[in-house]
Amino acid sequence: MLSFILCLCLRATADDAAIQTHIQTLASRKSSERAVALDALVATGDARMVPFFDAYRIGSIYLREGVPFIGGDVITDNNLDQFVSLTSVLTGETLLDENGEPELIPLLELENLSPNRKERIKVRSVSMLLNLSSPDKDTRLKAAKQAGVSPLQTDAIPFLTGLAENDPSRKIRHTAAESMALIEFGTSDDVDVRMDAIRSLGELNSLRALALVENLLEKDETLTPKQTAIVTAARKNIITHQQKVKFFDNFKFGLSTGSIYILMALGLAIIYGLMGVINMAHGEMMMIGAYTTFVLQKVFGHGPESPQNHFFLVALPASFLVAALVGWVIERLVVRKLYHRPFESLLATVGVSFILIQVVRLIFGDNQSSNSPTWLVGGFEVANDMTLSFNRVFIFFLTMAAVAGVMVLMRYTTFGLKVRATMQHREMAASVGIHTRRMYSMTFMLGSGLAGLAGCALTTVSGITPDMGQNYIVDSFLIVVIGGVGELIGVVCSGLGMGIILQSLENSFFSPVWAKIIILTMVVAFIQFRPAGLFPPKGRLADV
Amino acid sequence: MSEFNKVSLQRAKRHLLIMAVLGLGIVPLMYFTGLMPIETVNMLGRYLCFAIVAVGLDLIWGYTGILSMCQALFFTVGAYGMGMYMAHQYPSADNPLIPQSLYVVYPYDIGQGKGEEILPWFWWPFKYFPLAVILSILVPCLMAALVGLGGFFSRVRGVYFAILTQAITVAAFLFFSNNDMFLCGTNGLSQFRTFLGFDLGDDKLKLIMYMMTALSLLGVVGLCQYVVHSRFGRILVAVRDAEPALRFQGYKPHHFKMIAFAFAGAIAGLGGMLYTPQMQIITPSNMAPIESILIVVWVAVGGRGTLTGAVIGALFVNLIYSWLTSPISIGSVQVWSPDFWPILLGLLFIAVVLVIPTGVVNIKLPSFGRKKEVKA
Repeated sequence: MLSFILCLCLRATADDAAIQTHIQTLASRKSSERAVALDALVATGDARMVPFFDAYRIGSIYLREGVPFIGGDVITDNNLDQFVSLTSVLTGETLLDENGEPELIPLLELENLSPNRKERIKVRSVSMLLNLSSPDKDTRLKAAKQAGVSPLQTDAIPFLTGLAENDPSRKIRHTAAESMALIEFGTSDDVDVRMDAIRSLGELNSLRALALVENLLEKDETLTPKQTAIVTAARKNIITHQQKVKFFDNFKFGLSTGSIYILMALGLAIIYGLMGVINMAHGEMMMIGAYTTFVLQKVFGHGPESPQNHFFLVALPASFLVAALVGWVIERLVVRKLYHRPFESLLATVGVSFILIQVVRLIFGDNQSSNSPTWLVGGFEVANDMTLSFNRVFIFFLTMAAVAGVMVLMRYTTFGLKVRATMQHREMAASVGIHTRRMYSMTFMLGSGLAGLAGCALTTVSGITPDMGQNYIVDSFLIVVIGGVGELIGVVCSGLGMGIILQSLENSFFSPVWAKIIILTMVVAFIQFRPAGLFPPKGRLADV
Repeated sequence: MSEFNKVSLQRAKRHLLIMAVLGLGIVPLMYFTGLMPIETVNMLGRYLCFAIVAVGLDLIWGYTGILSMCQALFFTVGAYGMGMYMAHQYPSADNPLIPQSLYVVYPYDIGQGKGEEILPWFWWPFKYFPLAVILSILVPCLMAALVGLGGFFSRVRGVYFAILTQAITVAAFLFFSNNDMFLCGTNGLSQFRTFLGFDLGDDKLKLIMYMMTALSLLGVVGLCQYVVHSRFGRILVAVRDAEPALRFQGYKPHHFKMIAFAFAGAIAGLGGMLYTPQMQIITPSNMAPIESILIVVWVAVGGRGTLTGAVIGALFVNLIYSWLTSPISIGSVQVWSPDFWPILLGLLFIAVVLVIPTGVVNIKLPSFGRKKEVKA
């Protein structure tokens, strides 16, 4: 019966009065009357029914003097009186008060329609079927996916066939075909049909079917050898695909984690290489970059509802500059007296990091969540189930740009020449008129700024806490140890390598803990063979 | 023996005597006369455990020039050893083989129900007190030797070694926090009832533990003073001051470094072992990376390369910690909030490096004829 009805689906507008009467009947106590009314509502095939059904399912349809409304969130005031804002089912308009704000109406004045379990299931499948022919791409995709989840309905098959063949989006075609096979397998009694479904699931590399297929192989003892062969082949297909997806994910996450590591380690390596200072507050420079982004986001009023994406264009340079400025202050007050005294600088900068963390915590409180600009949300699909999210790609390219920038700065500018001269022989550089102190100061600012940039980039993938830098500092130092301080390229290689290896280990057989321990063992083993890192410094620097 | 060494040894003996009088004489006296509540004695006992670790660190950092950022790890491993012994004293009602403490997070194996669990193999030796004591010192010692083997033999030097030890601490911290390591995860070992036949709430036990700790500290300081004044100790100083020169003379610096490092690990384990019965809980947070850095600061505050300074630094920092981590009000105005403590600690880190790099024991006071004594 449903399929007949749905042939009429999304017909233009139905009669308002009829709809209103049917909805009023839903308030009746007799379930038989309600069932008739619901069927009638489905039969109208009115586009306005989609939001209505969705709201009805979660019980937020209200009658006000017989007129049906969709309610918003229920708000409770201090006296425990409850209020709700209303949107008309028929006209789609929200009731407003005199200020133009949504009017809050006391719940006591309204009659609430609450569906029983049967109705809820029915409404859910109806709204799914309606959504399958929605003009919106995302809604169609969601509905196509939902069709393959229990309760399975054979009614959906004709729609899915249509989608699988004619939909403009490849992803929807794939999902529809997958859901269709899942429905056929789940509902059909014919063994051949079921085997065909399994075969096509295997060809579709359906990850959703993996549990099903494995269950079939383990539990079902009625399979003939031929059928077993089909199922095994499908399973093999799916598992191969799953491994590919896993590898891709590890690579993707590893690349972005590695990029953050590089931005951090780059600064550390320059600072240690040039002035022999171990900067334990480097992680806090990153934290400051992240909080700068957070503050700017608040200033611009960026949020999921009102995206102000240009805040990020300001935040990128701002996080660099603010972190560099804080770095300058630290350099001036503390680090200046500790050049080439690694132990002392280590202790003092640990103190600096305590102070920075606690000050930020006292100002901003503990965890804060940030919203990345909307153009970094989402991703493009490289292949089935393999999505390259924009934020991770962005982090990678930002890092590459920063590395290229630093390399150009060091190799082709006067500043870089002076820094390199100071790094090779400070006294000699000073005697030919290079202001070495200024070189130190500027390098420290550059390193801190890079960490600030890392913090800004990190806000697009994770939350912000005052002690976020602590998670990165130890690993970043290990990267410097592996990469060596002589060449920037060493830091890039070891950062990317560390990111990818760490991610792969964490997501394979090992838990994150074991992954850390294995990485550490690898680092210790590596140092046995190359104590000065991947690209050891040559010549005069070699013996430092 | 050189003149300098003789003077230094005399001073070491004098310091040891003062420590003995203060620790074993004055404190118990104040307790028995009612001037000091048992809680304070207990607190001092715990801080003396910290002082023991600090002395170990001073030996390798102050004298040998190895900055270790994993002493808290060795301390906590020792503490877990004694913790496991204490946990055995309170077996579960369902399964007398398993300590109640383990039930906090006991990962069941497949097919096991409550009452059928098997005691993890490494819990067995800790059932016996002498074995538990030996292992609590030996395991950290061997761990330290292993770290030394990996680090010193491949010539990882200076700050690189410090960073390596910090990374090891992070990994170990994650390892101990893991729930399926049969060490109760982040909850740590806590459900203790008795220790050596005493109820844990017993004042007598607290006093005995305090005396034991004070005696151990004196022993450790004495032993370390002996070591640094021996020929071995002079090689350690040579490692610190001129490692390449020492190597050219035919010595193998890494051997000496490893032995010193393992010795400091054993000392840290001893401190941890004495800590558990006094604290009555031991969790992985005791080996968080920050704790190891704190130990470094205690030594730096007291004064590197003096041993006495390590003790003073550990007690000083911990006493102000216990004072300043509670709110302080003058009248009705709150002048100090515990929230400010990390800031103060940070300032202390910076001050110890920039203002008093030689530590409080070496601050030059207006002399009262002491200067003459040193000259003699």
